Amino acid sequence: MKYSNAWHLRDIILLTLIAIFFGVIYWVIGPLYNVLTVALTPVGLGPGANDVVMGIWVMAGPLSGYIFKKVGSATLGEFLGSVVEMFLGGQWGASTMISGVVQGVASELGFTFTGYKRYDWFSLNLSVLTTTIVTFGWDMIRNGYSKYHIGLLIALFIIRLISTWIFSGLLVKAIVKLLDRTHLMQTQSR
Amino acid sequence: MATISINHLSFSYPTEDGQKPLTLADVSATFPDGGFSLLTGPSGSGKSTLMKIMSGLYPKFGGVITHGEIQLNHTPISEIPETDRGQLIAMMFQNPNQQFAMDTVERELLFTLENQCVPPSEMMSRVDRALEYVEITALRHRQLNSLSGGEKQKVALAVIIAMKADTILLDEPFASVDPVARQLLLSKLAKLQHEEHKTIIISDHDLEDYDAYIDHLFVLNGTGNSLTLLNETDAQEKMAAFQRQDTSDQQLSLPTKVDQPVITAHDLSLTAGTSTLLKQPEINFFKHHITLLTGANGTGKSTLLMALSKLHQYDGTLLLNQKEIAKIRNNQLYRQVALVFQDADQQFLNVSVAEELALSLKNSQAAAYFKERLPGFLEKLQLDHLQDHVVYTLSGGQKKKLQILEMLIMATPVLLFDEPFTGLDFSSLQTIMAIMKQVAHDCHQTMLIVSHQLFGLDALVDYHVTLANNQLQYVEGLA
Amino acid sequence: MNPSLKFLLAVLIALEISFTSTWMVNLALAIIGLLIILTSRPPLKRLVLLFFVPLIPAVALAVAILLQSNAGMHFALVLFTRIYAYVFVGSAATLTTSVSDLVMSLEQNAHIPSKFAYGFLGAFDLLPKIVSEVNVIRAAGNMRGQALHIWSPQLYFKAILASLDWSENLAEAMTSHGFSEGAPRTYFKQIRVHWWDWCIMISSLLLLQIALFGLHLQ
Repeated sequence: MKYSNAWHLRDIILLTLIAIFFGVIYWVIGPLYNVLTVALTPVGLGPGANDVVMGIWVMAGPLSGYIFKKVGSATLGEFLGSVVEMFLGGQWGASTMISGVVQGVASELGFTFTGYKRYDWFSLNLSVLTTTIVTFGWDMIRNGYSKYHIGLLIALFIIRLISTWIFSGLLVKAIVKLLDRTHLMQTQSR
Repeated sequence: MATISINHLSFSYPTEDGQKPLTLADVSATFPDGGFSLLTGPSGSGKSTLMKIMSGLYPKFGGVITHGEIQLNHTPISEIPETDRGQLIAMMFQNPNQQFAMDTVERELLFTLENQCVPPSEMMSRVDRALEYVEITALRHRQLNSLSGGEKQKVALAVIIAMKADTILLDEPFASVDPVARQLLLSKLAKLQHEEHKTIIISDHDLEDYDAYIDHLFVLNGTGNSLTLLNETDAQEKMAAFQRQDTSDQQLSLPTKVDQPVITAHDLSLTAGTSTLLKQPEINFFKHHITLLTGANGTGKSTLLMALSKLHQYDGTLLLNQKEIAKIRNNQLYRQVALVFQDADQQFLNVSVAEELALSLKNSQAAAYFKERLPGFLEKLQLDHLQDHVVYTLSGGQKKKLQILEMLIMATPVLLFDEPFTGLDFSSLQTIMAIMKQVAHDCHQTMLIVSHQLFGLDALVDYHVTLANNQLQYVEGLA
Repeated sequence: MNPSLKFLLAVLIALEISFTSTWMVNLALAIIGLLIILTSRPPLKRLVLLFFVPLIPAVALAVAILLQSNAGMHFALVLFTRIYAYVFVGSAATLTTSVSDLVMSLEQNAHIPSKFAYGFLGAFDLLPKIVSEVNVIRAAGNMRGQALHIWSPQLYFKAILASLDWSENLAEAMTSHGFSEGAPRTYFKQIRVHWWDWCIMISSLLLLQIALFGLHLQ
């Protein structure tokens, strides 16, 4: 199957809708992040909540990459999601859009490294890895992770890697498998 | 001048394995210039497909034309540039919710005029006139999301008027439009036809209210291979037959004092946007009975079912077995009440027919009962050979049958149905009603059914409630 | 102020304070943001929420620095004020601009292709429907005895199927309303970039540099 890199109106609407759906699911299902943060703060591990739920935050990226199979789809998916979130009054304000780009590029890299030719378990795992590394780097700066003791830093990194692997890896794979079986995506104009 | 002629048109939605089953096969017709035409035919016959080809949306957005063409004023539609099309032909869609790009009424009209490259200085006067024409000047600055179905379709018509389209296509436009708005829209369309010589083509499976307006009646048959213009006598007969089909002199009884209420409402009020749908001082729905709920489109029947399923907010009291529905936890509530959605796709959770059935069997409240009878039900419903099929690509009728069956299998004590019989042929309808009746009896279920289709329902239902003028009322007659 | 430049400024400020550690500047930015927010006269509930929502991550980050690092009180304060600066500066932009104005400005001033501008806007306007659809999907799951959680593939699968359906409807409707990818359009509301927009932008950034540099020297 050949995929064109051009974005059509319908693709853009679809990508934005998916991004909004993911944001809404996150908020409707419950303030998981807030509960975890409040629970962990007294022992100084509050930021760890961010790492635990990181996989949920970033899963729209690899999923868009996988669904659209176009250059830039993961980045655009995450970015559009972050714009929506900022308008809805998210907790990170003006930095949300920056994070959106960072997270988007981070998950895009997995597909870039495989030349946008492989859309399989390998490229998805690669995307999980790039997402974890790049977003962690951004949190070293933005959220002051760089000042933590090395032990905590490693623990947070591992937690984030596991979370990202579960959600952006395993869960995205399961979602895509369901979608592929319906054959509905192919009928879309590409 | 706007003549649409269809010449030996065949159209297909190719399947995954490369086959091209024809949705429309070699159909031909000419829609007369300046006429008011109604295109009818059973659900799933391809009316909507045909309308979208006429408007130039297909094959751009789906499917392929395998043969023939449609001409607008002797030019093939495909050769008319997309940017010029708006002045020639415009379309109103079935689903009023996904046809606007902007947030407010005025902005949507302006967006359309900008697309047509209308000079900014002319825009306001065109917006003013379009809103006045449809009598919705008061809605000008309203959020589109806050409008009712009828109001949205009025806005859609205003957009078309602002575009100055010669030909106006309307694809089942009244599905969620209340009777008052429907009459207004029809009279405005007639005015556009008579005073501005617009060509109007409406597709609808429901023929009610049209006889005063239409000049031509086109019929597309169930398999999409014959499109005919009926002569005057045949058209009259078809319209009259449709009226008769809906009426029945069958009498039903009213609830008695011994009936046990399962759902009770006090001072219940339901709203959609800013309009009130229901103001009900008192009503009960009774245990182990099947109640039919009817009323015109857009009056709030679906909204009531949504409220009963905790999917629409309500004011007042709405009790299920003496407990306030809004306060029952979801996992508790949905073991007691389940809704058969109007849109079958919303019901499905998995991919194949077999998976859907397996899930229902696994979590059924009467698993043993259904395990034994399922093969028989599947055979009767002609679903038995479809086990490996993807549910989302079944035909409309097959989806409906599977959806009803999988919800019956759950054996939820209270089961709500929102237009369950849409798109079912006569024999499927008979079969599914018989199964519903049997299951309701054997599993001691309470059913509440919203349906337009009344044929044969006298054998299924015990009571009949009508919704009109914001009030629910038990009645004895079926029609 | 011009919407595109306003958002660009907000993002640039956020970017800059991410790399600097001057809590007084963060605090000043938060206060300026708050003043701008107040001019838009937000409902009290929104305002209260605006103070509480960032509190959770802000406290979490500050406490973590105090307990889990040697960076000390000063850096904890930096992180705490940074979150408030992010949120108040961001809200100062979002609360004073409608999404449609931003989109129109991005189309006319930033020359973003109209298909991106209006595709995004059309989808964004479906937000209330998306919220109710998520509830319908979860109810449909419960009605079949299957609770759908944040880790359930079906939840996302059904959301994507709905998106597929809606995106087709909306794209068709927009096309039917005369929208054509790449075709020229006229604009009823001309959105311009005035000289004072650039003035505000440049002087704000200059002031920020001076403040950061000045306080850094101290």
